[in-house]
Amino acid sequence: MELLNLQVSQKGNMAKKRERLDVIKDILRVIREHRAIKPTRLLYASNLSPQMFKEYVDELMTKDFIMINEDKKGKKTFSLKQKGHNFLDEYKMIENFISNFGL
Amino acid sequence: MDFLGWITQNKEILKILFGLIITLICIFIVLRTNRLFKISKHKGIRYFRNAFFFYGIAFFIKYIIESITFILESSSISLLIISALFEFFLIMGGFFLLYSLLWKKIETKNEKYTSSLMNPKISVFYMMAIIISVLDLINLSHFYMFLSQITVFAIASLISFVNYFNHPEKKFLKLYFAAMVLSFITWILNAFSAFYFGWDQGIMINIYVINTIIFLVFLYGVVKFTSLPKR
Repeated sequence: MELLNLQVSQKGNMAKKRERLDVIKDILRVIREHRAIKPTRLLYASNLSPQMFKEYVDELMTKDFIMINEDKKGKKTFSLKQKGHNFLDEYKMIENFISNFGL
Repeated sequence: MDFLGWITQNKEILKILFGLIITLICIFIVLRTNRLFKISKHKGIRYFRNAFFFYGIAFFIKYIIESITFILESSSISLLIISALFEFFLIMGGFFLLYSLLWKKIETKNEKYTSSLMNPKISVFYMMAIIISVLDLINLSHFYMFLSQITVFAIASLISFVNYFNHPEKKFLKLYFAAMVLSFITWILNAFSAFYFGWDQGIMINIYVINTIIFLVFLYGVVKFTSLPKR
């Protein structure tokens, strides 16, 4: 029920919530596609301001959706954790349901 | 004994079986879509869930409670009350199913009702369903229910056709449209059976079969699209 937990923690109206969920989905999708992605590349791909990007990434890390890895040279990359995979799967399932039932 | 004779002889048992199948399908759909709604908070899913919640109650009342009451040879007044309750819940199911297709065009983004069963917009449905059930109870017929549901499913067929036409790549929209057209035809058949053929057994058997197919189509869709995709 991670989608629900994320929604409960948000402020603002329903429209803002949905937009926020879309941003989270987009960030997670990019990470999943790349398996491991550098913070700067993820920032460009997410199309967010650096401040907003930090807020989202911090939240996703706190919620155990993503993790940061550091190699021997000190290079940092983001990768998806199991909860992040589950979120994307559930998001896809809901999208499919809504579009196939015309709701 | 011929097939029709066998069915006539076991009519009450078969009605209970039919009611049980539809009620179980509805319970399954409600539980699955309720989980989906809790995750997404999507209003369309919420109204779709409500539709099957009301259908489940309607079929349970009509085919299980009524059959038991009939077998126990209760008074005709209790059968009339059951009939009115069945109408009310069935009409509400139809309204919610239509509204699940229409809500985006009616509701604004800022509307936030905590309950989808008790709010000013939905109270219009309740009022209409109560008026229709009471009118039919007074007239001892199902005329207004048939009229309302034929109208509901004519509109639902049109909307689902537009949905399918706009997104032909979504295969289930085709099945959804077929289910809506079948529902529309079934309601017309039901009306003809009641008004011109005195609830003819042959026609009613066909209606039961078509109804089961319609609910199975929805069950198929819900099972297919509420299972997590393979990674």
